[in-house]
Amino acid sequence: MARRDTTVAALALGFGAVAAYESAKLPFGTVHSPGPGFFPWWTSVLIVALASIFFAQTLTTHARGEPESGRRITKVLALLAVLALYTFSLEPLGYPLCTFLLVLFMLRVTDPQRWPVALGMAALTAAGSYIVFAVWLSVPLPRGPL
Amino acid sequence: MEILGNLATGFYVALTPANLLYCFLGSFIGTAIGVLPGLGPPATIALLLPVTYGLPATSAVILLAGIFYGAMYGGSTTSILLNIPGEAASVVTCLDGYQMARQGKAGAALAISAFGSFIAGTLAIVGLMVLAPPLASFALKFGPAENFALLALGLTMVGYLAGASLTKGLMMAGLGLLLGTVGLDPIMGTQRFTYGFFKLSEGFDFILVAMGLFGIGEVLANVEQTITADVFQTKIRGLLPSREEWRQSAAPIARGSLLGFFIGVLPGGGAIISSFISYAVEKKFSRHPERFGKGAIEGVAAPESANNSAATSSFVPLLTLGIPGNASIAMIFAALLIHGIRPGPLLVAEKPEVFWGLVASMYIGNIMLLVLNLPLIGLWVKLLKVPYPLLAPLILVFVLIGSYSVNNSSFDVGVTIAFGLLGYLLRKFDFEPAPLVLAMILGPQLEASLRRSLIYSRGDLMVFFERPIAAALLALAVLMLLSPLFRNLLSRRFWRFVAPESERRDKPDAGSI
Repeated sequence: MARRDTTVAALALGFGAVAAYESAKLPFGTVHSPGPGFFPWWTSVLIVALASIFFAQTLTTHARGEPESGRRITKVLALLAVLALYTFSLEPLGYPLCTFLLVLFMLRVTDPQRWPVALGMAALTAAGSYIVFAVWLSVPLPRGPL
Repeated sequence: MEILGNLATGFYVALTPANLLYCFLGSFIGTAIGVLPGLGPPATIALLLPVTYGLPATSAVILLAGIFYGAMYGGSTTSILLNIPGEAASVVTCLDGYQMARQGKAGAALAISAFGSFIAGTLAIVGLMVLAPPLASFALKFGPAENFALLALGLTMVGYLAGASLTKGLMMAGLGLLLGTVGLDPIMGTQRFTYGFFKLSEGFDFILVAMGLFGIGEVLANVEQTITADVFQTKIRGLLPSREEWRQSAAPIARGSLLGFFIGVLPGGGAIISSFISYAVEKKFSRHPERFGKGAIEGVAAPESANNSAATSSFVPLLTLGIPGNASIAMIFAALLIHGIRPGPLLVAEKPEVFWGLVASMYIGNIMLLVLNLPLIGLWVKLLKVPYPLLAPLILVFVLIGSYSVNNSSFDVGVTIAFGLLGYLLRKFDFEPAPLVLAMILGPQLEASLRRSLIYSRGDLMVFFERPIAAALLALAVLMLLSPLFRNLLSRRFWRFVAPESERRDKPDAGSI
């Protein structure tokens, strides 16, 4: 736990430093007339300062054992990958097909259900949500080739 | 008399058939999501925001506010029947509510929680009605320096009160401030951090950020945990509490309402903290503190009253100062902005129909919730039996449709998913996402008031210390920043007092934010 927090603190420190570097590229102005880079730069400095405090805190905290469930994390990563794929396929394949496949994936892989339940739920969710949002509420969801 | 006249106008607005329907829908959806662990009010409000685009501003805010305070009612049901809080604000209700259910007193626990919520909600509306207009008039005197000090204090309070660690809370606020700078600079119009993406020139849409952090982040976190709802098998008999139970609950409801109101007014305070503090206060006041944790009705009445009262009073800083104190209120802030209404000191004077219409709808919503909650307990229990694996895809699909419909763009879906990943990681590493969203919303105002103050004072930093209101607000913020040690001590004492180690082994976790 403490080691994990230390890593997070180090990442936050790095993020703050990069943000400060990027902010420094914007016109800073003066304290009489602050420019567009003034506020982001000071905010980045604040993040660096806070991350340093957090880093120091994690070094003085005793480690607490908390086993990670590797199998479930794999499921989260797989779902994220499918969601990324969903974003890129939404326009070309259309909402109904993409949503059907996404729900089917969740009901077969993320939390496995029987095939009839998974197929039925996926079809019902894709068709039902399309009818409610695209047809009734006129949200222009992409139809795709179907 | 002026208040009564204004309230009459409010009822005239709230009692139109359309607004009554939105009030009912809000209360109903709010109760349902309060009952269901795994979907909190900020995500639900974010999800429904696009649906409100076509509604008049007052109807939209009536619907969304109903979801927020409705969730406070619904949250107690799961705490009492399952020992799983549907809402973080109902965590403490598990301690005695579940014990009451085990002793066959689930009906009384559910009823006192509903009646307590009703009484507290109604009292808090009276407080909101009386306090908001003079506070708004006072805030009209604020210049850029006072605005900067107020926003800085608000953000410090949010960081201070939102999570277990002040450092982490402030880090989240810092990240939110930085994300809020993406897009056009508020004073000169310069592009910042857009890296050639035209769509980023208007900044990150905080509706997408909220849907990602609270909606997708929640689903991903739950995929990892697997929520199992095991409804305690008990017959819910006698929904009306006995005279003795009423007698025991009267003072806790009154104290809970009062405490909840004042804590709810503080940015970052809100329903969660008020429920914990009111529980501790009741235990302290009780002649038999040993009954707490073993099914004391006061342990249900006080926190449930406090969280409802706080939910209502958290509208005070939003409607008078333009400061959303928690993530749900931030989404209502977004809804008002979308409808061209800027929450703040001018709202009461310039848009009385919105302010008073909302106040009146809260009275009506509270009555609807009381009517909804008690007879429909059976329906809510059935809803709990829907397995989460079947619910998760539905939540996800709603989030994806919601994010697409903001600008009809799959780029926005990608942004929402990216923030969903961030939300998941934040939960995993025990960071609270609420300060991030609030800082992102308040960031542009904070920056504009800071820069204007410096320009008007020709770079003299004393402008923040020479003006008494600004100085007092900043002093309060500094005091808060210097008190983490004191706070840690209090927190440890609090938990030792509320639930000694032996009772804490199966302390419930918050199902959602």
